[in-house]
Amino acid sequence: MRTSLKWMSLAVAAGLMVSLTACGNKDKDNTTSTDNGSASTGKAENVTITFQNIYPDPNTPLYKVLHQISEQYMKDHPNVKIEYDSLDTDQQKLKLKTQAASKEVPDITMVNPAAQMKDFVDAGLLAPLNDMIDKNGLKDTFQKGILDYYSFNNNVYALPDGNNIGVMFYNKKMFQQAGITAPPTTFDDLIADVKALKAKGITPMVTGEKDTWTGSFLFMNILLRTNNGPGFLSDVAAGKKTFNDPAFVDAVDSLEKLVQAGAFQDGATSMDYNAGETFFKSGKAAMYYMGTWATGAIDQSEAGADIGVFKFPTVNGKGNSDDYMLAPGSAFAISANSKHLQETKDFLNYFMLQYPKVSFELKNAVSVAQKVDGDFKAAGYSSLQMEVAALKAAVKGGDLSFDNTMNPATSQTHLTSIQNLFVQQVDPKSVAQEHQSAFEANK
Amino acid sequence: MNALKVPARTIALFVLPCLLLYVCLVFVPIFFSIYTSTFDWNGIGAKKFVGLDNYIRLFTKDAVFWPAVRHTLMFAVFSMVEIPFALYIATLINRFVKKPNFFVTSYFVPVILSVVIIGQLWKTIYNPASLGGMLNQVLDGLGLHSWTRSWLSDKTAAMYALYFVALWQYLGYHLLIQFTGIQNIPSEIYEAAKIDGADGFKADRYITFPLVVPIFKISIILAFIGSLQSFDMIMVMTGGGPGHSTDVIATHMYNMSFLSSKFGYGSSIAMVLVAVCLVATVIINALFNQVERKIS
Repeated sequence: MRTSLKWMSLAVAAGLMVSLTACGNKDKDNTTSTDNGSASTGKAENVTITFQNIYPDPNTPLYKVLHQISEQYMKDHPNVKIEYDSLDTDQQKLKLKTQAASKEVPDITMVNPAAQMKDFVDAGLLAPLNDMIDKNGLKDTFQKGILDYYSFNNNVYALPDGNNIGVMFYNKKMFQQAGITAPPTTFDDLIADVKALKAKGITPMVTGEKDTWTGSFLFMNILLRTNNGPGFLSDVAAGKKTFNDPAFVDAVDSLEKLVQAGAFQDGATSMDYNAGETFFKSGKAAMYYMGTWATGAIDQSEAGADIGVFKFPTVNGKGNSDDYMLAPGSAFAISANSKHLQETKDFLNYFMLQYPKVSFELKNAVSVAQKVDGDFKAAGYSSLQMEVAALKAAVKGGDLSFDNTMNPATSQTHLTSIQNLFVQQVDPKSVAQEHQSAFEANK
Repeated sequence: MNALKVPARTIALFVLPCLLLYVCLVFVPIFFSIYTSTFDWNGIGAKKFVGLDNYIRLFTKDAVFWPAVRHTLMFAVFSMVEIPFALYIATLINRFVKKPNFFVTSYFVPVILSVVIIGQLWKTIYNPASLGGMLNQVLDGLGLHSWTRSWLSDKTAAMYALYFVALWQYLGYHLLIQFTGIQNIPSEIYEAAKIDGADGFKADRYITFPLVVPIFKISIILAFIGSLQSFDMIMVMTGGGPGHSTDVIATHMYNMSFLSSKFGYGSSIAMVLVAVCLVATVIINALFNQVERKIS
């Protein structure tokens, strides 16, 4: 018994040693093999580029654009193989974080702008793309200022797939049924319309609030109005304002009024984003607040022909309806540790140069972040697409979403706090205080 | 232990490969988690050593943690209460059903189904009536309109709705375990008892229950630990919402680690979960040893 115990403990100790050194060695092995890889490539030898993306659905225009360009590139460069890793938005976020923890980021991946990509940049996981965007004039294809959201210390780290704004999509037919002649321009009108729709047995508004960002996006648009213009969160971050500011309290109060008026579908907090959008697309709700990235999919849906858009109304007489929630798109980034850094950069350069052109052909160019040559109307874009394009042309200014501005921990508190408003009436002041405490604790 | 008189080093040699694997897969991650739980770390960038700060914050300042612990423990209690029920059904099946395989298999079906499917299934059952939720329509049909609600979006009802799905899913699992336990009791004992006049309920009380206690214990421990780790079903059905009202320890840990990017803090929650599991297993074992001694 004694001896066997001794042996056992020896074995455990040995096991620990082996496993620990094994774990320790792994990193080193990886880095050396990476070095070898980048040194020995350069000639036309076979290269596989992993392309992690968030377009898993073959029916969407974004999927088609990505595959069309990549396949063309593989045809032109027989030595290059592009391997797709297509995931849902949320899955991809999670997978990338896990990969980042072990420093195994795929050659090309997708990140979200500003605060959401900062951690990755700070950890040195993403390759600066300055040299690459200067090639073939890629930099000049982007709309003015858009790359700022992806730049840190004068380096560009990612290239966006779109440039969107938050708008209210609405079903014209249902508005007619409820006797509403024009889209609302004030928040009081909006609530009156909600009641009129509800009286006709129509679900006034749909939101996929299980995915908490959807409600937050709407809430932030209310805040953009009650604050009389953009910049509330940056003022808070700079210490010029607190969340206890009347603008914030009013915004919470307004959202609660909307909820109390019965604007949203039953069980909103257990419906996810996709289900919510399908609900609207199949003509079961009259209004849907979403980013313009949804335009293409809504346009091609069952209810597509009846859908229009309107600007988010002013709230309590405050705000400018040409200010929008700005949503610079998810963006393509390259891993700093990529084994084939140069080849990957060449591919992404080609990809982004083709992006506006192919998107235009596939009728999805309205929300592209690059300049698009061509006449939308002549190319047969629908009236919805044209309406969206018109709104976008008149954008005066706006704010980024909460989680693109604040750090992840504060954002999470915000997101659940707003979700809670959909199921429970809370004193707006305590919501404000909850935000302020979270902000101070996570500075 | 060493009845075969095999040299200790031979035993060690044979134990080693499995032990190594076990250590690598179980202990290394646990120690790594203990290590990371002492850091302020976002999972990607630089770590900052903070000692026990994460734990102190968790126990004193985290408004989500204690309700999550309560939900988790309630979950555990409910799933343990279910086991006597499973045992009861198992004895009934054993006594009254001639070819019990079909019954037991049908009870077992939900266990094989993926949790995601179960979650989606019950989500549609729980849906508000306006979205065609079955439960609400049935209640409406019975004239119980005041009982209808959007089960998963109601702050008080949501957690109970989730408990019920888990109980429904795992009833068959525990039933199967108990049933096998009962079948393994030699029939001679019952025959002997019958001659002595112990039949029906009496036989259950004095033969089945005492002999099935070890199996019962396994079921209880499995149920307890399984419900402490409950995560996937909650993620699918509510994601911890609305407003944290269905968060359990595991979902809170996930939200903190991956959504709030506080890996160190998440690790400290994980360590609490490990500790609770270990302590609970020890307590349950001790309790059952007493019970077994009393009964037999």
